[in-house]
Amino acid sequence: MYSDSSLEPNQSLPLQGRGNVVVLNSKFKMNALHDELAEFSHAIIKGVPSSLGFVASPHYSADIGLEVYSNNYRGNLQDALAGAYPVIEQLVGADFFRQLARGFISLHGSCSASLFDYGAELGDFLEHDEPARALPYLPDVAKLEWACHRAYFATDVEPLNLARLSQVSADEYANIFLKVHPACYIVRSPFPIVALWQAHQPQGSFEINLASGGEIALISRQRDVVNVREITPDEAYWLRAVIHGKNLGMATVSTLETFPTFDLQNTLLLFASLGIWTDFTLGETS
Amino acid sequence: MKNQQVLSLAIGSLLALGLVGNAAAADTKMEKCYGVAKAGANDCGSKKAGHACAGHATMNNDKHDFVALPKGTCDKIAGGSTTESDDMMMKKGM
Repeated sequence: MYSDSSLEPNQSLPLQGRGNVVVLNSKFKMNALHDELAEFSHAIIKGVPSSLGFVASPHYSADIGLEVYSNNYRGNLQDALAGAYPVIEQLVGADFFRQLARGFISLHGSCSASLFDYGAELGDFLEHDEPARALPYLPDVAKLEWACHRAYFATDVEPLNLARLSQVSADEYANIFLKVHPACYIVRSPFPIVALWQAHQPQGSFEINLASGGEIALISRQRDVVNVREITPDEAYWLRAVIHGKNLGMATVSTLETFPTFDLQNTLLLFASLGIWTDFTLGETS
Repeated sequence: MKNQQVLSLAIGSLLALGLVGNAAAADTKMEKCYGVAKAGANDCGSKKAGHACAGHATMNNDKHDFVALPKGTCDKIAGGSTTESDDMMMKKGM
């Protein structure tokens, strides 16, 4: 297991770990480096011993050295998941969450250089994870948390320029296409996910009645603060129409057909106060 | 016609209140830094280095006891678990 004395610097790839050094075996030639690295990363990601003759320090065996890398890999992803899903972690407890994370990490490798991109599929994973299925609201809470996570990292965008809007003549209002902030998300659930989420914020209340029915969550961001609030079905219907490229006239007419009591004025002001309008364009005059 | 009035009223009130929710970016003194996020909750710097070498590092992290049931705040949510009745029966059985 020890280092071959004929090692030449350009034939080895020293990889620095804490307190021990793993050196790829020099008996493979340069053109095999890619294969060695692939094998090395496979051993780390899958947490399996490697068939390659990795050379470890005199103080550690190669298997223990690989385990250090492997545990660092999993530990990083586990902490990334805990960072993205603090409410899920509180709901199920740290021990159960660690187990969930382990199961998730074994199925989902990290595909991005940024850890903030890791964990999008946890909501779907929870739908199929046997012990977690006992808590049927978990997947939707996870989807809400992922939306918050993405909202936090969404691009900064200038808010709507009201001076420009004020120059639009009233006849053209129906032709306005409003643009929505990239940090804006809608998550629907048959469970009271907003109440569940809020219960886990500071000063949250646990007076939750799961039988009270579903909630639609609107996620938005002002400066660095992510907001989560419940919106009504008509507000969600109208906002979805706007997001999907309907102009104000069409979005409002179609919403009023389904929800005759829809209040455009309050809805527009509510969304403005949450900072979700960033810009507008004018369509062709019909 | 009615729709036109609804739109005029709504946009008129938006303009009157001057409500856009977000301060202009120029006013924002604090820029978000990609490496320092969520009050240090998701950084892979010093915190993780500490984690990696503090105990976990040389043990196989995968071989922990199996935790059969969630034990978090879900207990506070009445009617929230589909296996609650099974648990009760198990407890009675024991």
